[in-house]
Parts: sequence; C-alpha cells; structure tokens
Amino acid sequence: MTVVAPRKSRRPRRPQSTRGYRVFQSVNTIVLIGVVVLTVFPLVNIVARSFSGEIFIRSGQVNLIPKGFNLTTYHRVMSDSMFWTNYRNTVIYTLVATAISMVLTTCYAYVLSKRHLRGRTALAGIALFTLFFNGGLIPNYVLVSGLGLRNSIWAIVLPNAINVFNLLVMKSFFESLPEELEEAAAVDGLNTYQILLRIVLPLSKAVIATMLLFYAVSFWNSWFSAFLYLDRSELFPVTVYLRNLIAGATGGSDVTTASETALQIAANIQAVTIVLTVLPIMLVYPFIQRYFVSGVMLGAVKG
Amino acid sequence: MNQLSRRKVLFAAGAAGAAALGLAACGGDDEKDQNLSGNRAGAMDKYGVGDQFKATETLTFPIMLLSNAAYPYDANWLFWSELTKRTNVKLEPTVVPGSDYNQKRSVMVSAGDAPFIIPKTYRPDEEAFIAGGAILAVSDYLDLMPNFQDKVAKWKLQGDIDSMRQSDGKFYLLPGLHEDVWLDYSLAVRTDILQKLNLAVPKTWDELYTVLKAMRAAYPNQYPMSDRWSTPPSPGGNNLLSILSQNYGTRAGWAYQNVTFDTAANKFVVTGAMDQYKQMLEYLNKLVTEKLLDPESFTQPDDAARQKFAKGQSFVMSCNAQTLVNEIRKDIAGLAGATVVKIPQPMGPLGASKQGSRLESGLMVSKKARDSKNFVAMMQFIDWLWYSDAGGEFAKWGVEGVTYTKDGSGKRTLTKDVNVVGLNPSATKHMQKDFGFYNGVFAYGGTTELLESFFSDEEKEFQKEMTSRKTLPVDPPRPLNADEREQATLWEAGIKDTVFQQTLKFALGQRPLGEWDAYLKELEGKNSKQYIELVNKAYERYKTNHG
Repeated sequence: MTVVAPRKSRRPRRPQSTRGYRVFQSVNTIVLIGVVVLTVFPLVNIVARSFSGEIFIRSGQVNLIPKGFNLTTYHRVMSDSMFWTNYRNTVIYTLVATAISMVLTTCYAYVLSKRHLRGRTALAGIALFTLFFNGGLIPNYVLVSGLGLRNSIWAIVLPNAINVFNLLVMKSFFESLPEELEEAAAVDGLNTYQILLRIVLPLSKAVIATMLLFYAVSFWNSWFSAFLYLDRSELFPVTVYLRNLIAGATGGSDVTTASETALQIAANIQAVTIVLTVLPIMLVYPFIQRYFVSGVMLGAVKG
Repeated sequence: MNQLSRRKVLFAAGAAGAAALGLAACGGDDEKDQNLSGNRAGAMDKYGVGDQFKATETLTFPIMLLSNAAYPYDANWLFWSELTKRTNVKLEPTVVPGSDYNQKRSVMVSAGDAPFIIPKTYRPDEEAFIAGGAILAVSDYLDLMPNFQDKVAKWKLQGDIDSMRQSDGKFYLLPGLHEDVWLDYSLAVRTDILQKLNLAVPKTWDELYTVLKAMRAAYPNQYPMSDRWSTPPSPGGNNLLSILSQNYGTRAGWAYQNVTFDTAANKFVVTGAMDQYKQMLEYLNKLVTEKLLDPESFTQPDDAARQKFAKGQSFVMSCNAQTLVNEIRKDIAGLAGATVVKIPQPMGPLGASKQGSRLESGLMVSKKARDSKNFVAMMQFIDWLWYSDAGGEFAKWGVEGVTYTKDGSGKRTLTKDVNVVGLNPSATKHMQKDFGFYNGVFAYGGTTELLESFFSDEEKEFQKEMTSRKTLPVDPPRPLNADEREQATLWEAGIKDTVFQQTLKFALGQRPLGEWDAYLKELEGKNSKQYIELVNKAYERYKTNHG
C-alpha cells in the first residue's frame, strides 16, 4: 500500500476522481455492452441456426445455442467439389484483384497528391468523373466482351480496379505527409520512385492496411461482375455458387415433393452460407484492425 | 476532399454529352428475306410429326442454360451425350446461375451477345427485347416446326397462341404447350374436423360457407379459416382471391389483371368494376363479418398462418401440392388424429369450369441464328426436343432401360436406383443431379399424361377432378403499340392500386359495400375509362388487321 499510494499521487490529475466522470463511465460501459450484445447477438444466432435442425428453426426456437444439432447443410455444401473449386477461385480473385487495385490506387493517389504536378486537376477530374457517371451495364458488358476478357480472371480484377473513394482517401493521406520529409530524401539523393517506396510507403502503413481491407472485403463479397462475365461454373467465385444455392433452396422449385434434406437445407442455407463466407474475412480483421481506425481518420480529417 | 471546380463540372458535362451522342446509333433492320435456301445445312429434308430428328451432320448450337441449384449444371450428364447420339446436335451452354438468370439474359440479349437458343423466358419478358431487334419473330418460321403446329391444332391452342401476338401480328416466344390447364393451388381442409362435425367436403363456395359456419359453431372462440400468401404487391390473401375470383368469373389476387374480356358484350371491361368482382367481395365480406375468416388473412406473414393451422386454431388454409406435403402435414403432425387434404377448388357461379393459360415459359431465338447456315436444322431440333412426344419423354424420363422402364400398357417406372421427386427414396442416383433429365430448361409442358406421370396418387385424384372441368377461353389479343403502352403503364398503376386498396377495405368491412358506386367513381378518377377505351381500341384494331 505504501508503495502504491505515492505512485498514484505522482500521476497527473485524471478525471476519474470526479463523481461525474465515474457516472459517465458506468453509463458508457452499460450502453456499450448493450451495443456489443446487439451486434454480437445476430452473429451468434446465425452460427447457432447454421447448426440447428429444421423444425427448431421454423418454430423460432433457436437463439444462442444450436437446437437439434444438424450438419446436413454443411455437408451438402462442403461435399460438393464445385464449392471448393469456387472457393479457390474466390481466394485467387481476391488476392490478384486486391494486389492490382493496391498498386494502381497507390500510384494514382501519390501522383495526385503532388501539388506541383501539371495537369493534376485534369487527372483528378478523370477519376472524379467516374464517380458521378458511368457507361452503364450494357456498354460495360460490350466493352469487356470486346476486349476478349470474358471467361477469364481479368474480367473480374481489371474493371473497377480503382475505387475513386479509396483513391481520394489515400490522396488526402499522402497530402498530409510533411513535404519536408520528401525534400530531405531528395536532397539525400533518392529519386521519385525511391522516395515513394522507401519513405512514403513505410510511413503509410495505416492507410495501406485500411485500403487493403476495403478492397479485399469488397472483392471477397463481390459476385456481380463474376456472374456477368463468366459463363462456366468452374470459373465462378464462391459467392455466385452460394447465391444460386440460396435461390434454389428458398425459392419455389419445379419439384413437387421435396425431401427431408431439401427442407433442412432450405431452413438454414443462409446461415451456413454466412458462416462459410464471413469466417475467413473475419479472421483477417484482428490483424489489421489496429491500423484501421487511424487510417480512415487520417484521410477524413484532411479531406 | 477537393471541392468541384466549375471547370471540372463543365468537363464532366461535356463528356456526358459526348457519350449521349454516341448512343444515337440505333437503327431497325429490315424484314428478313423468307428465303431459307442458304440455311438448310444439316437439316432433314423430310421432317414431320413422329419423326426422330437427326441432323445430317454434327451441329453445335449455343444455348443459354439456367443452372438450377438443386441440380447444378454438369457437362457429364447422360442427357448431353444421349441427346447428341439421338439428334447429332451438341449444345454449347452458357451456364447462368438460376438466381439471376433474367438479369444476365437481358444483358446478353441487349448487348447482342446472346446464344442462339434462350430458354426459360416467362411471358411477357420477351416484349422488352422486341424493340431492340435482337429476338427473332419465331411465328414466321412455324412451318419448320411440325410438332409445334400439330400440338397447337390438336389441343386447340390457337387462342392461347394468339394472345401472345404483338401489334405487328407476330410473336417472339416459343411457349411451353400444355394439353390442359394445370391447376395446383386450392384449399387445405382438416378432414378429421369435417368428420367429427359430420360435414362433407365442400364442393362450392356456398358449401364452404356452411362448413365454416358449422366449424365456428363448434369452436366459437376461433376463426375456422386463416389464410396465407399475403405477400405484396397484390392485395393480400392472394391465393384465396385468385381461386375465388376465377370461379366468380373475374380476376383478383394472383390472377388479377386490370382488364377482363366480357364475352357477352364482346369487349374488355375494367376488372375491378365488374359486377362479379362485387359479388366476390360480398362473399368475402360475409365470411369476415360472421367471423369465419380471420381478418389477418390478408396481412399476416405465411408463418403466422401456418402456426395457427399447426396449433389447431384454424382448419382451412390455402395450399398447393408441395406445401400440403412438405409443410402442412408436417406442421400438424403434433395434433392427435389430425388429417388434411387439398380439396378441389370450390365452384362458384360459373359452375364446373376453370380459367388459366395453357402456355408456359418458353424459349426465344436470337436473331443472329437466322443467318446461320444451320438455321433450319436448329428449328427442327427445337421442335423435336421441346414439342415432340418423344422429345418430351426423353427430357423428362431419360433413357429407357437406364433411368426408367416401360411396360406393355405404356406405364413408365423409374429404375430401382434412380430417384426423382421422392418417388424412389432409397435410390442412390438422382434423375436431375446425376443424369440431367427432368431439367426445368428442357422438360415442361406436354400431354397431361406426361405431366402427371410424376404425381402422387392423391395429387392425380385432385387433377382428375380439375381436369373434368370446362376450360374457359382465354382473353383475345389486344396488343398495344409502343406509345399506347407507355400511356397505359401510367394509368395501370393507379387503377391497380385503387382496386387493391379498396378490395381489402370492402372485404374487411372497413368500407360498406353500399359505397360501391362511389368506388366506381374513384376508379374513373384514375382514368379507368380512358384506359379501357385504349384497350378496346387495340382489340378492335388487332381484330381488323389480323383477325
């Protein structure tokens, strides 16, 4: 006790000693726990449903714990070799698309952040223009077909490789870096590329991690361009596969009498799908989360 | 973020304008020459009803293929190899997940990139593509399709076919043809309750009223009927309104259409203003005010209706063959002694009759196919696979000796190790998943015998009763031209909304039926008069030009 007390007194006066702050903190805690429950409950519920039996799901008895433990739907989905083929496609598409997007976005944003660049406004205008106008579905389709990209990975990873919103966030971030730093590097003999690679990028981990997450999540979840430009089921990403599975299981089918299995699948295919697709990307979050908030904030404040 | 400078905005506007100019390059193409001499490669010289189509050389036709999640596309299906063996045709599928088939179809057709054969198109979806000129007017080439013509003549489908014609007198979709109107939806009734109360299965809507009244007397604290299928945009109680209205000679719920043809007056009338519509509402209103029909029937989610039925709180509810077996019977399994059947649709003032189209979803043919040197062979192939008896049997039942056997009387039986729709539950192979037969893209329509060959005995019994009823003629064609359609679309929404809202109010007694005339006035306020004039004008015009 004697050791602790003086240490406490040495600390700068912190607000927790006031009564108001303690009340604020307890209210804060309660409210935030409430928010956590609200956020986590649906997630846990989904997981529970994915492991539950049809009867219990239909009658609304499943809350946080699976009832009538049942793996039929998981088995049905995961025993299909097409599921794994498509899952592999998703991983490849996500990796390649994210890599391409990161390189292009970083380069573009870095260039735009240079105030001394001539034609900078026009370059920014070109990007901004696509934020407000686009060719539309059919012209895009005709373009991609005309370029011969259909039924190849390039149809998925090249169109929309640069997300203008992400570009602007990144540009703001680069603009916020002290110019003197780059000047000093230039004085020390680095050229433009070396400055970017050795000075700017290492300082931009926050924004890079954020962009990585933004891009990876959006490519992981995307299905529309794959659905549009790919005509063979072995090329589909898993999102298209699962989307079709959901539609087939929950919509009306031509079949007059469905089997027990079909009913079980119809009951929790959505839950199973969510678990299967969300899991990998959720596992990524903890690793980049610490960069996440600072990255977005930095861009936002400047912008 | 940067503020948009004026220069940027100008730049953007300029570029948008340039893009718009680029779009102004659409032209209609002229009538194609009817000369087919250059398009006969691979076709059979003599091909008629009953002939097996076989191309004289190996041909490949691109087709858009809906991949159903229940039986996803598989290149190794017996269907493909056997089809090639029989017809010398290889289909080259563009596989589209069933979840978003229509969207991909519109993009591909609009982009001029569609495969030759575009199946699974529901009327009137094809109309959206006609103006673009990418779809062939198939009605011009029916002479290449003997089986199609034969079925239309034999089953007296000309009226149904005519209803598809556009203002140019042509049609652009080859529909699935049914020998008879196929009705699936009706009411599920608790038969144990009927027995307990000594009641017969109601045959008419009036008998149903009596039965419900007796049920209410025996169970005074509950509504004997609580219905489902109230999903928007229709007014609610959609199946009840649909089957009730059709037996009253009008159209409501799922069957609703803004106009109905009045045979006696030889013109179209506004459906929501028909006397029959009013009579139907009077009947419904009687059920509601005497507390025989749960007022929530028109608003509650399906699950709520199911739960009431499952708990024995209601005894009558809408159903079809599938929900009867998969849902209702399972739901009431917990009620001791509870039994339920799908009763034949109760009859109304029209007596033993039924309404409905005998056309199903069908296929479109890409206009590009017309220029192919194999065009004639392709039309013959389509005719064989989709419209011949042999093609229908092949698409549905597969290969004799492999997926089914046939006895002397012509009755087909699945082979022991093949299952489909639960007919052979212990079998290890599946007709659709493992062999590719009974695929919704290829197997639909056809003779009643073929249609019912997968039905349970109970369902066959229901179908027997429904088949015996007289089929009422379909409405004659009244195709609108593009300008008229635009105007009509504006009016239709207002009329429909008013009819739906007021249907509910009248049925639930929120508005007394004495205000019917006021309601008719309101409908006129929604331009119903101008609308019906437009429709009748189109009807007369079509009759003069093409009738």
